[in-house]
Amino acid sequence: MLVRNSGSNITRRKLLGHSALAGAALAMPSILTTARPAGAQSLSASAFAKANIDWKQFKGEEITVGVIPAGYFNNLIDVVDTFEDLSGIKVHFDKIPPGQIRQKAMLDLSSKTGVYATHAADPMYYPLYVANNWVEPLDAYLADPKITDAAWFDYNDIPAGWRGSCSVGGKTYGIPYDGEATVQVYRKDVYEKAGINPAETLDQFVANAAKVHDPSNRLWAAALRGFRGAGQNMYIYPSIFREFGGEWYDSNKKLVVTTEPAIKALEWYADLLRRYAPPGVENWNWPDIADAFGQGTLATYIDAHNSAGVINDPQKSKVIGKIGYARWPKGPTGKRVTSIWTWSFPINAALPERRKKATWLFIQWSASKETQTATSYEFAGAYKRTDVNRTSLWQEPQYRKLMDSYGDNFVEAATASFRDDIDPDWRPLIPQWPAVGEIMATAVQAALVGQAKPKDALTAAQKQIDQATRS
Amino acid sequence: MKAANQTRGELLKDERFFAALLVAPGLLVLLVTTTAPLVYLLWTSLHHANLSMPWMNGFVGLDHYVHMLGDGRFWDALRLTAIYTVTTVVLQLVIGLGLALLVLQIPLGQWLFRLVAILPIVLAPVVVGLYWRTLMLSPSFGLFDVFTTQVFGKSYNWLGEPTLALISVILIHTWQWTAFAFLVLLASLASIPPDLYEAARIDRAGVIDRFRHITLPLIRPAIMIVIIMRAMVALSAFAAIYAATGGGPGTATQILNLYAYQTSFVALDFGYGSAQAIALLIVTLAVSAALFRLRRRGGLA
Repeated sequence: MLVRNSGSNITRRKLLGHSALAGAALAMPSILTTARPAGAQSLSASAFAKANIDWKQFKGEEITVGVIPAGYFNNLIDVVDTFEDLSGIKVHFDKIPPGQIRQKAMLDLSSKTGVYATHAADPMYYPLYVANNWVEPLDAYLADPKITDAAWFDYNDIPAGWRGSCSVGGKTYGIPYDGEATVQVYRKDVYEKAGINPAETLDQFVANAAKVHDPSNRLWAAALRGFRGAGQNMYIYPSIFREFGGEWYDSNKKLVVTTEPAIKALEWYADLLRRYAPPGVENWNWPDIADAFGQGTLATYIDAHNSAGVINDPQKSKVIGKIGYARWPKGPTGKRVTSIWTWSFPINAALPERRKKATWLFIQWSASKETQTATSYEFAGAYKRTDVNRTSLWQEPQYRKLMDSYGDNFVEAATASFRDDIDPDWRPLIPQWPAVGEIMATAVQAALVGQAKPKDALTAAQKQIDQATRS
Repeated sequence: MKAANQTRGELLKDERFFAALLVAPGLLVLLVTTTAPLVYLLWTSLHHANLSMPWMNGFVGLDHYVHMLGDGRFWDALRLTAIYTVTTVVLQLVIGLGLALLVLQIPLGQWLFRLVAILPIVLAPVVVGLYWRTLMLSPSFGLFDVFTTQVFGKSYNWLGEPTLALISVILIHTWQWTAFAFLVLLASLASIPPDLYEAARIDRAGVIDRFRHITLPLIRPAIMIVIIMRAMVALSAFAAIYAATGGGPGTATQILNLYAYQTSFVALDFGYGSAQAIALLIVTLAVSAALFRLRRRGGLA
């Protein structure tokens, strides 16, 4: 078990490089280094002393990290002083709304200004980053014993699907900080009353919806993200596409979206929403869906397991204690395909060498099991992360206890999803993804609102994809 | 005489030089801030500048423009731009003129109307877009939906249905900017000397005749100004639509400016996006040139 100080003081040690001394360190008198805000969390430096590296080797560096304003990053920001004390590296955070972080990061990366040493990166953007040589390949960092204690960091403890989504051509470019899977979320009470179980197949999902749909009493049966965007409706559609047996490439390695399964999948998606979703769903992103569910007007939805925090928030939710979870229903092919989502940290290639390595120390610290634990069930604040990046942590009793409080079968459904239901070909990993994702998102939305038939929408999308990827 | 003239000419030359010197800083700033980016935009539009395919970057000449001619989505965006511009300008003009004629009849307290009219104008278009999106047009909770369900017993998905979404963004723009037409036309109407109407009345000219033969010709310059200014703004509208629908659902409200934005900043194809921006610039210039000519010729009366 890890040794942790529950007090608020940080022990500053001069000989951090020697893990053998870690035990002894606990006995050493601790020195208060910085005054910290009341209530802020702290991690014991001794936990990091176990890593056989010199944390202080890049003392004096300053880095800026771009994150989104979300609970899971707020908790990290709250404990970052531990890292600053440990390493002597100053960390600034810049909170950027999720709709803008990709553009802001790209602006910085493409102009090579090096403002963001690292930022919360969308895995779909790595092929683009790599095509422009904007980010560092991290394998050398992982393998360098001077800056990484491989045994302590235990990179492979991060689920393979998430690690894989941050690599391009077998090379690692980002380290997952968190991760999530899409799961079925349903109202136990509603399902019990109707005498049904969470769906095992997509057909059953529709049949379930038909049984509980009751809009005159303000209960709509089901919702999926309809909002246009590469990370919104194109976060949901690819799962359905793959479950229907869709392949992104034809035999000539050409990107095709007009195949039979592609059309069938979009028909299913549009049909479900048109028949059973609340009005306006075509402009809904996950917070809108979670809000509706929390208000008790929605019987089921499929979205990130992480939305459980919202529907279990006593200030917003009226359905606490009535929530159950299950995996994605199987498609006609018998496959379940969950989404792959992780916010990860790359290293900006425009940084000077020393700062790159300082950034690496920050990334290693933030993705370490210790920091993940400290921002999850050990966090003092009300919000405790349920999206930690470590397989081993998902098996720890304390973490499971936290997860179990969110509803039936939560931890089981989420764990099984990101362990078994991840599909590496979930979305096409190409540098043109920003364009292709947007084209597809527009087509999907056009079909959802009936502006075009699924087949016509996809045919139009295909034409634009051909243009966008023409080379 | 001759000598004196020469010195005067020289003096004028000196003066001119001095004047140029005085104007130079301003001109330079203007050049750097407006002309240079334009030239750069034109230059970019002749290149492959695509972040997602950096290996293709380089000079391509007029490729993007040729490609544009065959791009259905471009023509669709242009069509929407035309619909959006014509309808918003006509609506603003008709409603603005109607309001101005009404308010003109009110002997006291016209200032109150002017004040109220200014309110939407001073709001940022993004705020207007968000305000309509959340408070007015959202399903179930929006004022419009509450109204239609109460009165007609029918609910409309204003921003979710393609045709309604287009109507909605036209409505939003008209709501925000009609006051501009109203204020300009009100001022213009107020400046018409009342004795003209009196003379017409003595000649037994009816209301319609008085409007057609006195009011309209006299406020024609104001109408033209309103049309020109509003058309130019409508052609390059962006923020309110972006905030209200983002160009959606699908591409139902994606006017050319939004498509150019989408191409450059979402699809990261700056070359083609620049070409679209240039196309929009040309359209705007052509429309304003035509309108200015119409104004000089004295048409539209």
